[in-house]
Amino acid sequence: MNTQWKTNRRELLKLAGGTLAGLMTVPNMAWSADGDTLRLRIDADLQVLDPKSMIGGLDEIILRCTQISLIRFGDTREGNKTMNWGAEKIEWTSPLTIAFTLRDGLKWTNGFGPVTAEDVKFSYERIAGSDSAWAYQFEKLDHVEVIDARSGIIHLKQPFKPIWVISLPYYGGHIVCKAAVEKVGGSYTTELPAQCGPFLFDKWEQNQKITLIANPDWNGEKSDFSKIEIYIVQDDQAAQLAYEADAFDFTRLAVSAAKQVKAAMPKGAKLIEAQSTRYAWLTINMNSPQLSDLRVRQAIQYAYDGDAVLQGAYDGLTVRAAGVVQPGTNFAREKNHIATRDVEKAKALLAEAGIKDLKLNLVALTDSTTQTIAQIIQSNLGEAGITVEIQPTEDAAYWALGDKTKGDAYKTLELVLMNFAGGIDPTENLLWFRPDQIGIYNWSFFDSKEFEDLYQQGLVEQDDAKRKTIFNRMEDLMEDSGCFIFICFEPYLAIHDDNLQPVILADGHPNPTMFKKV
Amino acid sequence: MFSAVESLMRTVKSLSRDPMGFLGLGLVVMFLLMAMLAPLISPFDPLKINVQSKFMEPSLAHWLGTDQLGRDTLSRIIYGSRTALSISLTATGLAGICGLLLGLVAGFGPRWLDNVFVLLFDSISSLPMIMFALAVITVLGPGTGTLIVVIILISAPGYARLIRAQTLTLKNSDFVLAEKSMGASSGRIILLHLLPNVVGPLVIILSMDIPVVIMLEAGLSYLNLGVRPPTPSWGNILYDGYTSIRSSPTLVIAAGAPLVLATLGFTFLGEGLRDALDPKLQLMSLR
Repeated sequence: MNTQWKTNRRELLKLAGGTLAGLMTVPNMAWSADGDTLRLRIDADLQVLDPKSMIGGLDEIILRCTQISLIRFGDTREGNKTMNWGAEKIEWTSPLTIAFTLRDGLKWTNGFGPVTAEDVKFSYERIAGSDSAWAYQFEKLDHVEVIDARSGIIHLKQPFKPIWVISLPYYGGHIVCKAAVEKVGGSYTTELPAQCGPFLFDKWEQNQKITLIANPDWNGEKSDFSKIEIYIVQDDQAAQLAYEADAFDFTRLAVSAAKQVKAAMPKGAKLIEAQSTRYAWLTINMNSPQLSDLRVRQAIQYAYDGDAVLQGAYDGLTVRAAGVVQPGTNFAREKNHIATRDVEKAKALLAEAGIKDLKLNLVALTDSTTQTIAQIIQSNLGEAGITVEIQPTEDAAYWALGDKTKGDAYKTLELVLMNFAGGIDPTENLLWFRPDQIGIYNWSFFDSKEFEDLYQQGLVEQDDAKRKTIFNRMEDLMEDSGCFIFICFEPYLAIHDDNLQPVILADGHPNPTMFKKV
Repeated sequence: MFSAVESLMRTVKSLSRDPMGFLGLGLVVMFLLMAMLAPLISPFDPLKINVQSKFMEPSLAHWLGTDQLGRDTLSRIIYGSRTALSISLTATGLAGICGLLLGLVAGFGPRWLDNVFVLLFDSISSLPMIMFALAVITVLGPGTGTLIVVIILISAPGYARLIRAQTLTLKNSDFVLAEKSMGASSGRIILLHLLPNVVGPLVIILSMDIPVVIMLEAGLSYLNLGVRPPTPSWGNILYDGYTSIRSSPTLVIAAGAPLVLATLGFTFLGEGLRDALDPKLQLMSLR
């Protein structure tokens, strides 16, 4: 037998071709995107997939794919229309009741049987009145009455129309399997005990990628894609470069990229430019010994240069916010009480309070927009004689800072740059500043009984003019407390392949199950 | 004193015969002057924000353009040299002193103490540098002080090991044994006989480590773990440049160039000094 190994050009080419073909058959090493795979980029990894204790962001995006809710939203750019989703039929039967019937054929994975009205009852009632950050969504829920396996009635304590847009379509509104959740001890973190949605959670490569695959048992509206890959890329600039290298089909962009992208739009790409519901503000913690004097907090408000921040960090693509209700909407407040910068007034207030050489710590996330804002604020306050030290903080550590369950650090925070994805109803944006949110998401220790009373009134008030008065007064209280500087509602900027039609919900996050090929 | 000056002159003369060493010396002197004269030669206040002038292209007014906050890039680069050199020289110097003292004590002291020190040096040296730096920064919080502590902790064990090895060789040499037999104290032997003989190689290693420290400072500042804003650092200017590389590439080039030049300068100078001070190499050149 001749065992001599002969190498020539033809053999080498054959070998290379064979190796290449072999590699291409391994899915993870495919060199081009599969046409049935939707590739999205998100900036932070998942944290908790239990709707009761999820943080938001990617957690919520995954749940949109793997769980159902009774109704769901359409694209925010088309007016946030709601449509039936898990419910075959759902309607208000009185100001205090909503009757629903689940679609037939909805089935849990892992052998937990069909989705039932009992699951809906369990999903909502476990959040209502609990310590969940989403408990506000079911604050007016009395109970869910189970009529039969697929039908039930949602009973409210008081008339509460916003439940339709706040609670039912997403976040706390995702339905979980009662039997499965009870089997795992009543709560879970990153492993879904049972799923029922167009996609199934397939693989999590921590801080890198999430893979979702089409659910073979799903009998509802099919997605245009059989697989969704969600890539975790924290940095917007890196994400933009990766998009241009065809690593994703969709990514959000930094606002600062707008000019450059418009000037040189990548081939086959489309830009989404919209007003987002994400609102940004500066938290001034009145519980900090250095900031307990109202005059000191007001000095910060006077020293702040809103125009410089809008120009420097947002390229002038948005306007100054006068509260946490979206400008341009019916309920928005007209203007801030401290609308123009007055450094001399700031200095005078500090002198009046007997403060000299004030040094404050400003916590800010590490993304370029937030860091730019932080440096402008540092410079603004420096002109008034306040030394600010910026503490750039990574996402996971950042959210632990204001959390009362993670130690006492939340009590002594001083300045924090914050931004939240907002909702459609103003109460969704205002609720984070209620007294019971101190140590959860109210990091300024703003503690106003009048604010809470107004919030409760705003929830049940049906007259829009009266609601506007209520919400505007609440924002007055926030500003007058000296605990907040309203920065803006951030512009939304994303880029996607032009053969794709993305769907963005009111919270600024995509709903991948609704993306279409065009 | 006379011999020290003479030695220095001899070293400079030797450097002048080595083109790369001389180039290194020139670059180092340039950066030292830039750092010392920063307030005099900077055209603008490096901290002054003017968002109306952000991302300006290089012009007669702003030779290297402006950054995302409208600050003059050239002024920030000039002040950045202060940050880079002050941190690298302070940290390397302190690390050198710590290494020198620990190495002398380990090498000259009792065996058990030597074993303890060697275990300590090896333990610290075995930790991955960046991971160790990140752990220390997580505990102490980012900032210039932390950065110096990190650099000392990372570098000192290496220097101590070098000094210890030199000390072990010298402690049994005839002149040390003679001193001992005449009843000289350990302190006298260390200070008068060992120290002058071990410090030369350390100086060479320190000068060659300065660019490593400059890069480490820039790297950690780039990651937002080093010098805090608004203090200009080549690392955080590089980061600002990276975030706007598509619209304003000047910033990355402007921050990258001094890093490259400083690294080359200190490396060439270190190599030049090694050649100039190494007696074996001197002997070879005489032959």
